[in-house]
Amino acid sequence: MIVAEDLTRVYTMGRVEVRALRGVSLSVARGEFVGIMGASGSGKSTLLHILGLLDRPTSGRVMLDKTDVLALSDHQRTQFRLNRLGYVFQDYALIGELTALENVYLTSLVRGDPEEEYLRKSTDILERVGLGDRMDHRQSELSGGEQQRVAIARALVNSPSILLADEPCANLDSQTSKSILDLFRRLNEDLDQTILMVSHEEWHKEYFCRVVTLRDGLIEEVTECRKG
Amino acid sequence: MPVLAGLRVSAFLAWKSIRRGSKGTLVLTIMIVALIFVNLVFLPSIISGVVETFDAQSIDFDFGNLVVEPREGSQYIDGVASLQRQIERIPGIVGTSPRTAAGVTYFYKGRNTASTLYGINPEDERSVTRIAEFMTEGEFLSDGDTDAIVMGATLAGTEGDEGGGLPTLEGVVVGDSVRVDYPNGETRTYRVKGIFETQSFGVDTSAFITNREMSEVLGLQDQASVILVKTEENGREEEFKRELLSYGIQEEVRTYREKAGGFVDQAIQSFNIINAISTLVSLIIAIVVIFIVIFINTVNRRRQIGILKAIGIDQQIIINSYVLQVLFITVVGALVGMVLNAGVTTYLTAYPLVFPGGPVYPVVEASAVLWSVASLFAVSLPAGYIPAWRIAREDILTAIRG
Ligand SMILES: Nc1ncnc2c1ncn2[C@@H]1O[C@H](COP(=O)(O)OP(=O)(O)OP(=O)(O)O)[C@@H](O)[C@H]1O
Ligand SMILES: [Mg+2]
Repeated sequence: MIVAEDLTRVYTMGRVEVRALRGVSLSVARGEFVGIMGASGSGKSTLLHILGLLDRPTSGRVMLDKTDVLALSDHQRTQFRLNRLGYVFQDYALIGELTALENVYLTSLVRGDPEEEYLRKSTDILERVGLGDRMDHRQSELSGGEQQRVAIARALVNSPSILLADEPCANLDSQTSKSILDLFRRLNEDLDQTILMVSHEEWHKEYFCRVVTLRDGLIEEVTECRKG
Repeated sequence: MPVLAGLRVSAFLAWKSIRRGSKGTLVLTIMIVALIFVNLVFLPSIISGVVETFDAQSIDFDFGNLVVEPREGSQYIDGVASLQRQIERIPGIVGTSPRTAAGVTYFYKGRNTASTLYGINPEDERSVTRIAEFMTEGEFLSDGDTDAIVMGATLAGTEGDEGGGLPTLEGVVVGDSVRVDYPNGETRTYRVKGIFETQSFGVDTSAFITNREMSEVLGLQDQASVILVKTEENGREEEFKRELLSYGIQEEVRTYREKAGGFVDQAIQSFNIINAISTLVSLIIAIVVIFIVIFINTVNRRRQIGILKAIGIDQQIIINSYVLQVLFITVVGALVGMVLNAGVTTYLTAYPLVFPGGPVYPVVEASAVLWSVASLFAVSLPAGYIPAWRIAREDILTAIRG
């Protein structure tokens, strides 16, 4: 499902080079729920950006769903993100002019799905993340945790083949975090949803099939946590 | 993805942005577009008004629609009565008026001035010009009059006003006697029957007597200096000119525009240059303003544009949503501009600008409005497209970081 080989990402800022990834290889099978952990600045978001087709590595190869995504044109990458990927940004990245519901169904609108269907799916998923009574609120009228859950709902609404989530529980209390993780686990177990999730919390490990720990742009260790 | 679905998303995003974006900026931008529109339409409407006033003046008081003149080398048209009948038989011609002109000297209360005196057939003249309707004092001539004269208001003048170089007798009133010295040495004294004021300065500095009297003094028979011709409707002068010539009329035929000569054409030309400059300036202002507004708008939404791209929205959809917003602003701006312009036009119709030649009413021509709308769109679309395109092209993560 995901095959990344020897990824490097070097940011050049004037004379200073920041090597955010220094040769990361990773492969994730369909239906795996993988956690990515590591200290702040270890390259977790950078890796997720590359796998989410939001950034290109300085070198290396990425295959998603048997597609060499680095060979795709910008337009094809956009289409790939729209149709196959769900991405939860570390900072939510909602559209401020749209309500929670509109944020969630926007991509369905782009895909040209029937209105009845996408309204039902969007309402449904918002209810599942506990925002049934916040659908008509805009970003400025939502708390950080609520915004985060809208971002999760938006990533899930089109049943992506890969879900990439960058600290999706960072702003949630442990009760809500648990319900989100339970939702991820159900999707993973019932629908074979492939999930790659960045996390800081030790207790999240019990949800993951596998934990990949990064350190200074390299994979430090890989631990199996539970049977996939 | 189907183009239509894409447009639907663009429209969706544009509409949400208009509805939920800053109202102040929106209203301000629309007002700016509206004022630019007014500016684009206003000057042409005044120029059209000037041209229209000038045309109306020339036709109503100076020339009629067409002027028949003597053949090359002759001073007078001969066989006037039969020529009149011949011309009046042409369908679409509603009247002809022979005029005999003489350069005379007027004497009044020890003052004198030189100007033109016309002999006319009063009834014929009424069928061509509207001078008789513009009497400020007394009455117009009747066919039988021999010792009566009607005089333009400038020529009659007012006591103590030297007329700034124009011929004036400074204070003639109805009932006064005025002596006229003809170029052939004859002298007559006429009683002033009426005074007219048309605002056409060539007419207001002249006077009229009957052709019967003029022919007697000059010894003419069935002759005239010109025949003025009135057509049913204005604007088809060239057509009627050809028609007249094709009916075998041997005399020279000129339209009122040709008679008025280069003066109007020159004035119109100068006005058109002023108009072109003003239009250009307005359009440049429109480009700059719309460009700045959209640019600020898009720069402020860099992050949002980045997010839209990140979740899989094609950059063309994003660009189109900005173009649609500009389209909306331009349409509403043009509509508001039309309302403002109607207000200005209504005001200037009630309180017209006064030009030499008479009051000028703004004439808003559909073509000028269409042209203004078209140029506003031509200008605002690229001004909206370019900034949106520049930002939508940016790298996603750079845009999202803002
Ligand atoms: N655009 C950029 N320009 C320069 N350096 C960058 C850029 N983005 C990230 N970095 C650097 O790359 C390294 C990895 O960053 P990254 O965001 O991947 O860390 P992270 O593991 O997600 O950290 P956190 O847990 O704080 O989110 C950091 O040292 C960061 O400063
Ligand atoms: Mg991060």
